[in-house]
Amino acid sequence: MHLTGWTVALTALGVVPAAVTQSREVAFWWVAAVIALALLDTWMAPPTASVGVRRDVPGSVRLTQSTRSSLLVANVGRRRVRGAVRDAWQPSAGADETRHRFSLARGETVTFRTRLTPTRRGDRHAGAVTVRTDGPLRLAGRQRSLDAPARLRVLPEFASRRHLPSRLRRLREIDGRTAVQLKGAGSEFDSLRDYVIGDDVRAIDWRGTARRGEVVVRTYRPERDRRVVVVLDCARLSAARVGDAPRLDASIEASLLLAALASRAGDRVQATAFDRAEQARAASSGPAFMTELADALAPVEASLLEPDWPAMVRLVESRVSQRSLVVLLTTVETSALDSGLIEAVGALQRHHQVLVGSVEDPELGSMLRARGDADAVYGAGAASRALLEREAVATRLRQLGAEVVLALPDDLAPAVCDRYLALKAAGRL
Amino acid sequence: MTAPADLVVAPAGPGLAARARRGRLGIVAVALLAAIVALILLGSRGGDVVALSTENSRSTGARAVAQILRDHGVSVRQLDRLAQARVEDPAATTVVIAEPYLLGARQLEALAEYPGDVVLLGASDESLDALGIPATDEPVVIPRTEDARCSDPDALAAGTVRVSDEGLAATGDGVELCFLHGDAAGFGRAEVDGRTVTVIASAALVTNDQLDELGHAALALRVLGRHPEVVWYVADGFDSSLLTWGADGSRPTGEAPGSIDAVPDFLPPGTGTALYALALTVLVAAVWKARRFGALVAEPLPVVVRASEATRGRARLYRKARAAGRSAASLRAAAALRMGRRIGVPRSEGRDTLVAAIARASGRPAQDVDRLLYGPPPADDEALLTLISELDALESEVHRP
Repeated sequence: MHLTGWTVALTALGVVPAAVTQSREVAFWWVAAVIALALLDTWMAPPTASVGVRRDVPGSVRLTQSTRSSLLVANVGRRRVRGAVRDAWQPSAGADETRHRFSLARGETVTFRTRLTPTRRGDRHAGAVTVRTDGPLRLAGRQRSLDAPARLRVLPEFASRRHLPSRLRRLREIDGRTAVQLKGAGSEFDSLRDYVIGDDVRAIDWRGTARRGEVVVRTYRPERDRRVVVVLDCARLSAARVGDAPRLDASIEASLLLAALASRAGDRVQATAFDRAEQARAASSGPAFMTELADALAPVEASLLEPDWPAMVRLVESRVSQRSLVVLLTTVETSALDSGLIEAVGALQRHHQVLVGSVEDPELGSMLRARGDADAVYGAGAASRALLEREAVATRLRQLGAEVVLALPDDLAPAVCDRYLALKAAGRL
Repeated sequence: MTAPADLVVAPAGPGLAARARRGRLGIVAVALLAAIVALILLGSRGGDVVALSTENSRSTGARAVAQILRDHGVSVRQLDRLAQARVEDPAATTVVIAEPYLLGARQLEALAEYPGDVVLLGASDESLDALGIPATDEPVVIPRTEDARCSDPDALAAGTVRVSDEGLAATGDGVELCFLHGDAAGFGRAEVDGRTVTVIASAALVTNDQLDELGHAALALRVLGRHPEVVWYVADGFDSSLLTWGADGSRPTGEAPGSIDAVPDFLPPGTGTALYALALTVLVAAVWKARRFGALVAEPLPVVVRASEATRGRARLYRKARAAGRSAASLRAAAALRMGRRIGVPRSEGRDTLVAAIARASGRPAQDVDRLLYGPPPADDEALLTLISELDALESEVHRP
């Protein structure tokens, strides 16, 4: 049951007889009569079972974009139904107008559209659809919440895709496919051609030269069909907030950009999100890979667990047999010494090339630069200490042969891609 | 148009009978609760324990005297609030005030204006003064049975009464005191402004407990039964309303401020009831607004801890400990790292190489650079700030060679 504003208005009208008769009993009985009328109206209202609803939700939407969820309301009863529906959504789904009034004749349907502008990545769930039917007096009516489960998958924003064109240009330069013919320095044998003046004499293929009687040189191209394994650490340290979003979001951006770049470069990419067990995975399989990856990473949330690095190593070893680039998107911190990150990187580095990407906190930078009073300088001291500790861990990782990229959240994705391109150009994949 | 398929429709709810069957326990519990509440309410009515109340059948109550008065055709009406009195004919009414020391000043003023007979059970200086009786309240420590020893017919009819608790001591003429116990009289009567004010200072004699002793009954019934109407009020200190009388029961006009019913007389009549109706409307509006249009949808929130929290904590520790030396060491090491990186000196190189390289790059003497980077730790905040500003200056001077 629910009351409408008319009930209140009618009750308020009781002030007039109460004031005229100066009798509290009149006021009291007026209210009692209005309530009785409202109860009668509720009883006369069409049953909520005479209203059927159906939700139609688009499968997914990219963060910061809007979509529309439609709610079909049908009168399946025998009478005209007047009332309202509420299309409830989680607050972060960003629904603009969730309440809609309707008046439907028998068998009629109406479709309401609720505009959704999600504010957070992940699965946004809809709440129940609440139906109110008004009684003939419009004083009160029946109310019922219907379970109409719906889910809107909010894909990562992938704001770093603006960096993709410039990286692809670089890739083409390495590849040697540019108009300027900057011959790429790959490591994979491509073909033999005649020597022209200016070629590096080290590239001369003596065996071919002997066979042909002319000087021929080998040409190389960047490796293709390499394997790239992106491992997102979605454990405790990724849950911490950097700027406005958790660290994990920056890692997801980086993995999306890297996947986009690497799959264009002809490499096979697979991604996994890991804390103590695998939370999500996607492997390159044709043109839909980027969508699949975004879809797989969208619902990943950072857990408050300590990462299980040895298990991660076992997982990677089971997935790839040949030498690959393992991109570990995690946090380089002193706690990495205890959690086993260094040992894991060491173990992976024996068979693969490891690239460790870590999100830096911009706040640390501002603390580091803060001057003015003693408090600010103590803050700068603490930030320096944190920086030195992180630098020590990074140095330790570099000594193991791993590449380490420390970057601010917005810079992580391009920085990781640049390092990938550098590795590719150097033929270290 | 036919309704499309796969609609979500509320299942037809169970019938009233089914619901009643399912909620049997709840219904029984509610009924039981209602019965208990009703019993308590009914029971509480008989359980009046207010001293000198005409409803109180215990030893401290005055139900006996009220019943005897009623048996003799006197109507006894007990008031909860003084304003309910609405005495129609003051000449034929006795207003009985028990525990008068609990009356407020304005109530006493109104009582003084009242034209009819008043009986006080108990006494207080303020009430005696307000009613114009030249006497004061005198405590009686040891109760004693006393003879009337005065010319008042009621007192003479009673003969002897027990004087206890309180008595009256005269301060002037105009009051007849009876049953004197030393200075304190158990009974006093005065004619003031054409009405009779009677004080039974030893009020215990009208209680159920003592009414049948000595001449108590005679005194009480004669004093209280003078007029066919008795209005009985036990002051309680919470009620601040005034005694009302007159043909329309509206004198004095208005009531004391602080009363719930207080309505200033410049407002039109009916304002109070209109406000009452509005209050009921507010209740209905609360019900209207309180009914939620479906449940709230829970939002699973992400972790809100900032990544820099640990570093900020460390900064606070440094600050609290005034760890200038430790702080400076970190800042120096970080500056050395940055400068070394800028001029291409790897971290593994020793102190001398780095100092020499920085001195070359900045054009400063090597001792100066060495003091800044590896000098003694600063002793206090002042020294720390100086060191840091010098270090910043040095860092800004280091350029790639």
